[in-house]
Amino acid sequence: MEYYLDSLSLLILISSFVLVANKRINSYIRTFRLQSFLLVILAGVIGMENFFSEGSLEIIVIALLILVLKVFYIPRLLQNTVNKVEYKVEKDFFLNIPIGVLICCALVMLVYYSVSSVIPADTGHTRIYLVNSISVVLIGMFFMISRKKAIGQIIGFLVLENGIFTTAMLTANGMPIIIELGMFIDLLTAVMIMGGLVFKINENFESIDINKLRNLRG
Amino acid sequence: MEILVLIIPLVTSLLFWLSNNKKVLHYINIAGSALLLLLAVSVTGRFIMQGLDSLIFLSDLFYFDYLNLFMLDTIVIVSFLVSVYAVGYLNEEFEHGLIDIRKLKLYYSLTHVFIFTMVLVVSTQNLGLMWIAIEATTLASVFLVGFHNNKNAIEAAWKYIIICSVGIALALLGIVLLYISTVGLFGDPHNSLSWVFLYENALLLQGSVLKISFIFVLAGFGTKVGLVPMHTWLPDAHSQAPSPISALLSGVLLNSAMYGIIRVLVIINKNLGSNVYTGRMMMAIGLLSIAAAALFILPQKDYKRLLAYSSIEHMGIIAFALGIFSPLAVYGALFHMLNHAFTKSMLFLCTGNIFLKYKTREISKITGVLKILPVTGVVFLLGIFAIAGMPPFSVFASELNIIIASFEAGHYYQGAAFIILLALVFAGITSSMLKMFFANNVSEQVIHGEVNKSGTIVVVIMLCIIAVTGLYLPEQIGAFLSSAAAIVSGGM
Repeated sequence: MEYYLDSLSLLILISSFVLVANKRINSYIRTFRLQSFLLVILAGVIGMENFFSEGSLEIIVIALLILVLKVFYIPRLLQNTVNKVEYKVEKDFFLNIPIGVLICCALVMLVYYSVSSVIPADTGHTRIYLVNSISVVLIGMFFMISRKKAIGQIIGFLVLENGIFTTAMLTANGMPIIIELGMFIDLLTAVMIMGGLVFKINENFESIDINKLRNLRG
Repeated sequence: MEILVLIIPLVTSLLFWLSNNKKVLHYINIAGSALLLLLAVSVTGRFIMQGLDSLIFLSDLFYFDYLNLFMLDTIVIVSFLVSVYAVGYLNEEFEHGLIDIRKLKLYYSLTHVFIFTMVLVVSTQNLGLMWIAIEATTLASVFLVGFHNNKNAIEAAWKYIIICSVGIALALLGIVLLYISTVGLFGDPHNSLSWVFLYENALLLQGSVLKISFIFVLAGFGTKVGLVPMHTWLPDAHSQAPSPISALLSGVLLNSAMYGIIRVLVIINKNLGSNVYTGRMMMAIGLLSIAAAALFILPQKDYKRLLAYSSIEHMGIIAFALGIFSPLAVYGALFHMLNHAFTKSMLFLCTGNIFLKYKTREISKITGVLKILPVTGVVFLLGIFAIAGMPPFSVFASELNIIIASFEAGHYYQGAAFIILLALVFAGITSSMLKMFFANNVSEQVIHGEVNKSGTIVVVIMLCIIAVTGLYLPEQIGAFLSSAAAIVSGGM
């Protein structure tokens, strides 16, 4: 059991590295879908175990919700948005990819040292889970600032959210179900609003390049 | 009965879609917010009359004590006044053809959803639900910030949703960590996020996890509060939104986010047994916010942006006071939240009238406000002195409270820095803004006389409130504030 969880938490971390190495918007969406699928497996494994030991279906329901929302619905929504704003293939990053990956390695080390300094070593797997999933959060944030296009920022935000979800899932078997449901509703609304704003940005600025949003300063 | 506080704004926001008549929409707006005001007052009254300490309803997800009733009343009163103002403001925009009936409906409906989310923030005791509600405040107000749909408004809305969503996601991580620190301690995990429960058992939580948790919560909700260096969305959103929305954003939204920090702060201070850990961070970030605001206010060319930076300054003051955490300082912080809510929303409403008249936000293009808008002009002038901290207005009273508390607690250097920074801000605000008021020869294009009559009455009422509470705080309100402050500093 712990063996599966260890590998899954590592795979989720690796998938966020893959995201940083991606060049095209379409591959961002595919990587996000892959990472969400890993999340579904993670929640599924924990949910099964929970079901057999305590007979509660809550976590399995959550796994199904992630499957519907994060694996199918949100990626499709983003893909439609990308198709409609007539995305031209052009360079979308400030730093080149190897430097980006190196920065992410540094982030993981930073998280490792800071988590180790607060969480005692005898807490078993909790420490390594925290390191992996907080790293995903930070890599998501790094991804947001390293891309120029609006879609990249939305994907970064979603990855960040995935990282938080992993943290809760691995260390505390998920939040209470009411909270999880509320979070899904918020996330869904947020992504829909962001998608709508991408259209408006495209109309007003003739591009979805965030660097052009520079009228308001000081 | 308490549950109606949540239901009324939601129902009101739906009612707007039933009618296409402008007058009816205005009536629904006023009736909805007036009903909410009456209800909140009656709940508060009953609470005080019966001498309750707390009031749990709807399977202990929701909860009132003096602290959230205080926040609730501030929100409800300010949103009622803003709703009355909005009628005249929107009429004016409607007549100039800036908005049509569909946008009017959208505006009203989203505003009431926005009010609903803020009421939800302050009426729940479940920290997870509170997080959801704070995220929902962003989502409800994004379209209101981008209401005018031009380049600048879209840019402001995009920054607002991206920066605040990321910030609040960090706060979620903080709350997850808080939750982790309870796992294994209590049998039923469904209780583990309830504030009362966490507060009672604060000493049992794992302190080391709580320390990281607080950093994330401060950075996360701090983004929404507008503390430097997470403030970058705030001046844009406040300056681009329509004035009534700016008034709500600055007056009550920032307070509700600060309320989130307060609730977590209380648990962590009780767990650690002192406020040294949280106090250092809060005081540092508070002073940094005041200092940054002082720097940005001085060269500011846009009067709404200037007021937005002043909001950052005032949130910094509140954070500073919460860092000191003595009973007097906490009282000062809460009193300051109240005063800032009224004074700043009054100022933003005044800028609405000025904008309707002059059609520009640039300070240098505006002269002779006192001649052209005699009532709004006077209120705005006095309001600027009030927000800068001039006696006899209430902002001065609460700032004085905080300064005394800071010296009493032995924070001499911080207190001195605080006073110097406040003086800088005072100089910055008055020297930039005073140019607008006087003129030898007012330009011909601008017609004399007030616009938005009902709105002008609202700002005059608000001026009376801040002037009276500055000189004399009615005993009941003072006692109410003290009880709220006792909840915050009670654990120490």
